[in-house]
This record gives sequence, C-alpha cells and structure tokens, in this order.
Amino acid sequence: MTMTHEEARARLSALLDEALPAQEAVRVRAHLDTCATCAAVLEELRATVAMVRGVEPVGAPQGFADRVRARLAALPQPHTMPAWDMMRWRPRLHLSWRGVAAVAAAALIGLFGLNLTRQVLPEARLDLAEEPRPALRGAPVPGAAPAPAPGPRLPRDVAGPAVPGVPAVPGSAAGLPALRQVVRTGQLAIEVERFDEAARRLLQLAEGAGGFVAESATSEQGGARRGTYVLRVPAARFGEVLQQVETLGTVQRRAVSGQDVSEEFVDLDARIRNLERQEARLLSFMDRATKIADLMAIENEVTRVRGEIERLTGRHRVLANRVELATVHVELSEKPKAVPGGFWDAGRAIAQIQGAFLATVRQVLDVGAAAAAFAAGLLPLALLGGAAWAIVRRVTGRATPAA
Amino acid sequence: MPDDESTLIARARRGDLDAFDALVRAHQDRVYHLAYRVTGNHEDAADAAQDAFVRAYQALPRFRGDAAFATWLHRIATNAALDLIRRRPAQPPIELPPQTVAPGGPEHEAGRREVARRVGAALARLPAEFRAAVVLRDLQGFDYEEIARILQVPVGTVRSRISRGREALRAHLADLVRSEG
Repeated sequence: MTMTHEEARARLSALLDEALPAQEAVRVRAHLDTCATCAAVLEELRATVAMVRGVEPVGAPQGFADRVRARLAALPQPHTMPAWDMMRWRPRLHLSWRGVAAVAAAALIGLFGLNLTRQVLPEARLDLAEEPRPALRGAPVPGAAPAPAPGPRLPRDVAGPAVPGVPAVPGSAAGLPALRQVVRTGQLAIEVERFDEAARRLLQLAEGAGGFVAESATSEQGGARRGTYVLRVPAARFGEVLQQVETLGTVQRRAVSGQDVSEEFVDLDARIRNLERQEARLLSFMDRATKIADLMAIENEVTRVRGEIERLTGRHRVLANRVELATVHVELSEKPKAVPGGFWDAGRAIAQIQGAFLATVRQVLDVGAAAAAFAAGLLPLALLGGAAWAIVRRVTGRATPAA
Repeated sequence: MPDDESTLIARARRGDLDAFDALVRAHQDRVYHLAYRVTGNHEDAADAAQDAFVRAYQALPRFRGDAAFATWLHRIATNAALDLIRRRPAQPPIELPPQTVAPGGPEHEAGRREVARRVGAALARLPAEFRAAVVLRDLQGFDYEEIARILQVPVGTVRSRISRGREALRAHLADLVRSEG
C-alpha cells in the first residue's frame, strides 16, 4: 500500500526531523523509492533546511542587557518577595481561617448546649446561684439553739442575742428603765409543701412561746394557697420563734429590724411627771380659790392636764407593749404543684430552647463587646506598628535595588 | 550550568536585579535572534526582546520550573514578537533583484551575506505562525514537543506548520538551492 504524492509531500519535513511515527516513515520511504519526483523534492527540502540552518545567528545588539535593566529599574513597583510570599501563603491562611471558623462554631455549639442544659435542669443553676448564701438554706434545727429564758433579768441578752440575723440590740427586756427599749419586728416569707399543717404549727409556735396570732388572712390563687399572719411573741423569745418558723419550709424572704425607742420612753416619763406636778399645783390652787370664775378656770386647766396625762400614759403603755411583745409577720405560700402538662409540654421545651438561644446570643454579644473594647485599646499600638512596618519596608525596599 | 541558573532564578524571583541581569546576558542572543527572525527587522526585534525580558521578570514568580527556563523564556519571547508584529503590521518585504553568486572563491563572504538576506526575506514572507514554528525548529533548535509547549498548540499542529513553512521556503529559495547544490 503506497501513499499519494500529497500524503508523502506533507510528511517530508517531519521525515527530515525523524519526527514521524515508524510506520508512517516506512510508508513514506516506500513511496520515495518508487517516486523520483518526491525524492527530488525531499532533497531540495533538505538543502533548503540546511541553508536556513546555516544562516549565522543574529546576536543581541550592544548594550541590550543594560537597556533591559534600565526598563526593569524604572518599573513602578518591581515585584518583591513579601507580596508574592503573601500570595503563596494564601492557601495556608485559608486553612487557618477555616480552622478558626470551626473552633468558633464548636464554641458556639458548646455554649448553646450548656445554656440549654441549664434551662432544662434549673437545679444546676439554682445550686450555682445559691452557693454564696448558705445561711438561707441551712435552716437551724429546732431546739438546737438554746432558748433564751424569758423574764426581765438576762445579762446575757444585754450582750446581744446569739441568733444569727437578729440585730444585736442591747436590752430587750421590758420594765427595766435603765435598759434600752427596743421594738422588734421580723418578716418572713416561707414556701411550704403542705399549707394547712404549716398554718397549724405556726399557731402552736406562737402560743408555745407565750404569744398569740394577732392577725391572719388566707387566699387561694391558681391552686396554690397563701396566708399572711402577724404573730406577737414576748421579745425575749423573738429570735427563738423566728428560727422555729423558718423550719416550716423554704425561706424566701427574711427581714428583721429593731427600733430603739428608749429616748421616747424617757421623754414620755419626763413629760408625764411634769404634768402630774402641774396637776398637783393646780389642785392646791383650787383649794385656795375664792372666786367662782377662778375655780372654773382652774377646773378646766386640771381637766386638760389630766387628759394629756392619760394620753401620754396610753402611749407609754402601747410602746411598752410593743417592746414587750415583738411582732413577726409571716407569709406562708404553698409550693406550686407541677402543672399537669400531659405527655409532653411543647411550650416549655420551646421556652427552654428560646432561653438558651437568647442566653447564647447575649453571651456572644458580651464577648463581641469585650473584643471590640480590647481592639479599640490596641488600635493606637496597631497604628504605631503599621507605621513602623511601612517605614522599615520602604527603607529595605530602597536598599535592595541599590545593593 | 543548570544549578547556577536555578540559583539565579531563585534570586531573581526575590527581586534581585543582578541575578536577573545574568539571566538576560545568558539568553539575550537566542531571544534576540528569535525576535529578529519573527519580526524581520532590528528595530522591532529590540523592542520585542526587551518586552520579552521585562514580561519574564514580572512573570518569574509564576515560573514553576516544570519546564526548562529556556523553553519558558522562548514562549514569552515568541508571544512578545508575535504581539508586536500584530500591533505593527510588517512592512512589505523589500524585494531585491536576485543576485547569482558563485559559492566559494573571493566572493564567499559576500555570498554568505546574500544567502542570509535571501533566507531572511523568505522567512518574512511566511505567515507569522509558520514563521515562528520554522524559526523555533531550524534556527533555535527546539524539538517538536518543546515547540508545542512554546506555541501552546498540539504537536501535530507544530509538525504541519513546520512542514508548510519549509515548503514555502523551498519554493522561495529554489533558485539559490539549485545554484548551490
């Protein structure tokens, strides 16, 4: 099988360069063996190529390299190592950005999970929150604290009651004018498991301490009952009663105050004494009075002074009563029973997720705000550093071409 | 020396103009010859060759070293030369009346210059693509694969361009070849 002239001619050039596949070369040679014309063309082509190759190469003109160099030096910004290094570093930067993003995502998910756990298990949060206030949780065991003996003696009481939380006000006993007269008031809000039992025990407590329940009111709301009670107990047993009431349930609020009314007592006593003296004088005037008019005037004055004495004495009694009997306001509330939510409480779950989500967003915003503040603090430093870097770069950038 | 050259390339890549200058001096003749044969005159050749080296300097960071530096440089130079003649269409070659010159003898030197002039003129009449392929093959001595890489075309295309370019040269130079041969 032979080639046509055209097929052979098209391959003569490659044949000269020995750049034909072996099979094609064999076929071209076979054609050339039988075709003198094509063989002649090959020889002419060979001679032509030889002539072209024999042409002396033209070298670069004098000063060519210098002109190239001048053009390179005149380039506005010759490429420098840092720029290209940054380019080549980009993949690594990309990787690290990805890593940073992954770490941030993991942190967010972890935070959200923690918040969700706190929402679902509020006990954990309560424990954390109440740690610093163990006093409210550690309710004293009834009878553990020695009950102060009642009565108006009590040098120990003068030194201050040993009950925690009760202000140490000297002189809690009534009837001793030399001692301080103090009106004691306590307020307790207590959540109890069983309301009726707690209310009954409250009554027993008041009576057992020699006091009474002065007021009581109960109400019911949403299946949970609440009651407010005002207990009056002897001042000497005030702390003891407080402690016992606290054992009824979980203390939610506790306030104790002591109002020193000693000066008011002294003042009242003095004014009563003065008025009694005035009354005695008026009565003696009345004995010596001769005119009806004078008698009438003195009589009126005696009545007025007497009324004042009665008023002040009454006030003295009330005050003495309040000093003698301390007041304890107790607010009992029944612990809300678990809401019967059926098989699954979707609303609660959504609320928990929402709470966790909002908590996470808030924490992220907090962190962002802190970071922004930090960055703002660093800004002057960064500006200084950037300026220094630019100067260093410019100096070295100039030095390199000159070197 | 390839070791030397790779060191120079590395330094030039960092902006070392001295290193690049050494590379320019090592390759300037071949690059200029290519540019001269493709553009057909010294003025354009100087411009094209300078452009080629400036472009090479700027593109050096992208030179990955997977091809020979000379091949890479020739690709840039060929493109620079072809760009230039595309921008500045070649003046029609000045046809001088053919002179018959006897080879050898006292006119040997003159004969060689005449041959060079005729070859240059014949090359100038080739289409630019054929011219570039023939110049790279017969004057610069690259093989077909290298030329394919320089011109960014398949090897088959290289073979065909060289073949058709040479065929045209053969026709243009037939009288000279016959008188010599």
